[in-house]
Amino acid sequence: MKLGLYPKIAADGIRKNSRLYVPYIATCILMIAIFYIMHLLGFSDMLKNFEGASTAKDILQLGTIIMALFGTIFLFYTQSTLIKGRKKEFGLYNVLGMNRVNLGRILFFETALIWIISMTGGILAGIGLSKLAELGFTKMINSSVSYQFTVSTDSIATTVIVYSFIFLFIYLNALRQIWFTRTINLIHADKAGEKPPKANWVIGILGLIILLSGYTIALKIESPLSALAWFFIAVILIIVGTYLVLIAGSVLLCRILQKNKTYYYKTNHFVSVSSMAFRMKRNGAGLASICILLTMILVMISSTAALYFNREETLTTRYPKQINVTATNMGVLENSEEVISKMENAVSKCVKDFGAEITEDMSASYYGLSGYFDNNKTVDIDLDPYTTLSTTFDFDSVVQVYFFDVETYNRLNNKNETLSPGKILLSIDGNIQVDDEIIIGKKTFEVEKKVDYKDGKMKYAVGTSVVSTIVLIVDDLNEAVAAFSEYTDSRGEPMLVWKWTYDFDTNLDSKGQMELRGKIGSYIDDEPGVPDPVVYYSFSRDAERDDFVSTFGGLFFLGILLSIIFMVSCVLIIYYKQISEGFEDQSRFSIMQKVGMTKENIKKSINSQMLTVFFIPIIFACIHLATVLPIVHKLLLLFGHNNVPLLLITAGICVLICGLFYALTYKLTSNAYYKIVS
Amino acid sequence: MSLLEVSGVKKTYKARRGGASVEALKNVNFTVEKGEYVAIMGESGSGKTTLLNILAALDKATAGTVILDGMNLTTIKDAAIAKFRRDNLGYVFQDFNLLDTFTLEDNIYLPLVLAGKRHSEMKERLDKLAPSLGITDLLKKYPYEVSGGQKQRAAIARALITNPKIVLALMVTHSTKAASHASRVMFIKDGIIFHQIYKGNSTDTQMYQKISDTLNLLAQGGDLK
Ligand SMILES: Nc1ncnc2c1ncn2[C@@H]1O[C@H](COP(=O)(O)OP(=O)(O)O)[C@@H](O)[C@H]1O
Ligand SMILES: [Mg+2]
Repeated sequence: MKLGLYPKIAADGIRKNSRLYVPYIATCILMIAIFYIMHLLGFSDMLKNFEGASTAKDILQLGTIIMALFGTIFLFYTQSTLIKGRKKEFGLYNVLGMNRVNLGRILFFETALIWIISMTGGILAGIGLSKLAELGFTKMINSSVSYQFTVSTDSIATTVIVYSFIFLFIYLNALRQIWFTRTINLIHADKAGEKPPKANWVIGILGLIILLSGYTIALKIESPLSALAWFFIAVILIIVGTYLVLIAGSVLLCRILQKNKTYYYKTNHFVSVSSMAFRMKRNGAGLASICILLTMILVMISSTAALYFNREETLTTRYPKQINVTATNMGVLENSEEVISKMENAVSKCVKDFGAEITEDMSASYYGLSGYFDNNKTVDIDLDPYTTLSTTFDFDSVVQVYFFDVETYNRLNNKNETLSPGKILLSIDGNIQVDDEIIIGKKTFEVEKKVDYKDGKMKYAVGTSVVSTIVLIVDDLNEAVAAFSEYTDSRGEPMLVWKWTYDFDTNLDSKGQMELRGKIGSYIDDEPGVPDPVVYYSFSRDAERDDFVSTFGGLFFLGILLSIIFMVSCVLIIYYKQISEGFEDQSRFSIMQKVGMTKENIKKSINSQMLTVFFIPIIFACIHLATVLPIVHKLLLLFGHNNVPLLLITAGICVLICGLFYALTYKLTSNAYYKIVS
Repeated sequence: MSLLEVSGVKKTYKARRGGASVEALKNVNFTVEKGEYVAIMGESGSGKTTLLNILAALDKATAGTVILDGMNLTTIKDAAIAKFRRDNLGYVFQDFNLLDTFTLEDNIYLPLVLAGKRHSEMKERLDKLAPSLGITDLLKKYPYEVSGGQKQRAAIARALITNPKIVLALMVTHSTKAASHASRVMFIKDGIIFHQIYKGNSTDTQMYQKISDTLNLLAQGGDLK
């Protein structure tokens, strides 16, 4: 056979089956576009200059990998369906004298053709959608942080490589099916129903174990830093588990329903159950795909919405007063009252010169360092935790240690505590157990009493932390930390960091506050006696608000954008499922009508089929959401978000909206199905 | 009153585009009594399928009336057809029309399930029917797993299980011997039925000979009168 003939036969094959191939290719295009956009956001420099950008990028990077995995599983199953429908045709070619090599070539050109169309379409759609997103960003968010969706050759290249591998894999799978099937079985392939897997219960139990271990990991994770590494593993396990459980579950369900004679031999159930059984594995896989997409949508929208709607609270936690001045040491290892009062002087002089006055203020100085908690009252600070983390992944034991003096504690939290000599007050936030003494490095501190640093303004000084926090309230700050001054991190910087924060309100309006903020620096510079190694920053809450709005607005927008794309692919999957099944069932329904089935019966049996499977994906998606919400909460802590009720509310609303939309899609596509079969 | 009365039935297939329309049935008249076994024979394209489709109310005649047990099929409402067919007709299709999503057993049950019968009753009926058709061992198999003849027997079982008033069967048989079991044999040619009534008084071999002769005559273009 002449080589030039193959592409022609392949193209004809696709054209003749265009009713099925068009939605299939459309889904491929969308998958590729999603992958491209996720990769672009996760791996390019587009998301930067804002707090939490690196977290957002990390998550999107994981998302990219997850999308590749999901795309593989999804396309694998969809294409298996397509091939099943084509086997008869291939069988006929075979009878008419083509050998398997010839068939393999046709298949190759078919896959190649779809690959070319999908690749081109997917990348163009990705670029187009990202440009659209850019427009949306600049229109919607009036911000100082600009988002520019450049066209990234890196992302294009990665997309092409990854999806070429996926297509190769899909091609090999199709080839396997044609190659190892006898001609006679090829011809009758469309007549034979799916056989239940040999060890269905093994698959089911395996899937359940995988799913449950995914859930366990998701629920077990303590600190958000470890969340990132384990989150990914949990997600993969949950995806794989969902597929296995739903496939085995669908097979099991069909068997149970068919065994129950009184249920099975009811007009409404008879046809729906038998056609479900006819494609039981495919059914399970389709439901799993829908479930995963729904879960991703729910997670993305509820988390970014929670971030966005909580922005004001996050802002005031970060900046409790109109203006904040923060100073930190670079080598000066002494909490000098003198330096602090000089800086306070400089600030108040600045405010006075500006013709304003400070109405309320709050000042705190403290030391901080980080280390490993060894679960036995000792914090090890010999190692630099953040550099060793990449090899140990032991995020959960990283702790942040703060030292305050008792005077500051009493002042900030309105207390009246006194300390016996050599003893401390201890406050812990996180899952750490300490009794009557704690050892930091080699120094032992005796605990006089446990307190809660968060029941007062001290929480503003400490801030939202992503790891467990240990606060030691001591009598003499400098003496308490003196032993830690020689420890350095991997870059040779001292581990121990001194900080001073000064927050105050004025009688100025927003514009005045921003102007004042700009002047503070030069006043501190000019103040004699503030040593050079002290570095300071000043912030105005109103100026930062813009940043918060654009950061969280941007993420929210991104969440919506990705969700819309996911929703469209979800609709496409459902549509594809309905019409491909519709075409398969067309002749069956026409036979049944000849045997006495009415249009009414058809409608009822479609409804019954719909109701049997309709709720499964959304229920599973809700369970998934419920188990990953704790992690999501912890990830949101990285953005300074700590509002669990709001997260629950946004999650609830998302489930409602998503559920309604899903129901609508199902209804509309089942109408399409009904039109085809009747 | 006869069980089935067919009078003046005409069927014209409209041309799709350009082509000439086909007059598949020109003027068909006959009656069938209760308990009769009637065979209609004719070469391919003579109009057998068209006629049976009209009798089964799967298709509408262009003109004429079909009355089955007092019910006029030519004026029956679309909505009532399915129920009528389910309750009164057994139909064995030429290509059997078994559903590949069902086992043979479930295929046979289908009309009863549609009629809302209980499973125990369906099983009872099938238990009586299956041995006589020799399909007892095949019931759990799927259509693609059995032979054409076995499929045909399952299709017959499906037609009989509703205890219909009339069974219409389209069967491919190349032996005229099968038809000689009929109490009456009719021949169809060019959309016209030729009544050749063979009563059960002739012997099998006599009847067989007569059928063969008639078929030969028809095949050579001759006319019966
Ligand atoms: N759907 C149709 N459209 C047009 N012509 C048809 C159609 N069905 C059958 N015919 C024509 O009607 C005639 C009778 O066909 P048919 O009833 O199938 O004959 P038989 O079953 O005896 O072989 C044939 O000439 C055939 O070509
Ligand atoms: Mg015919």
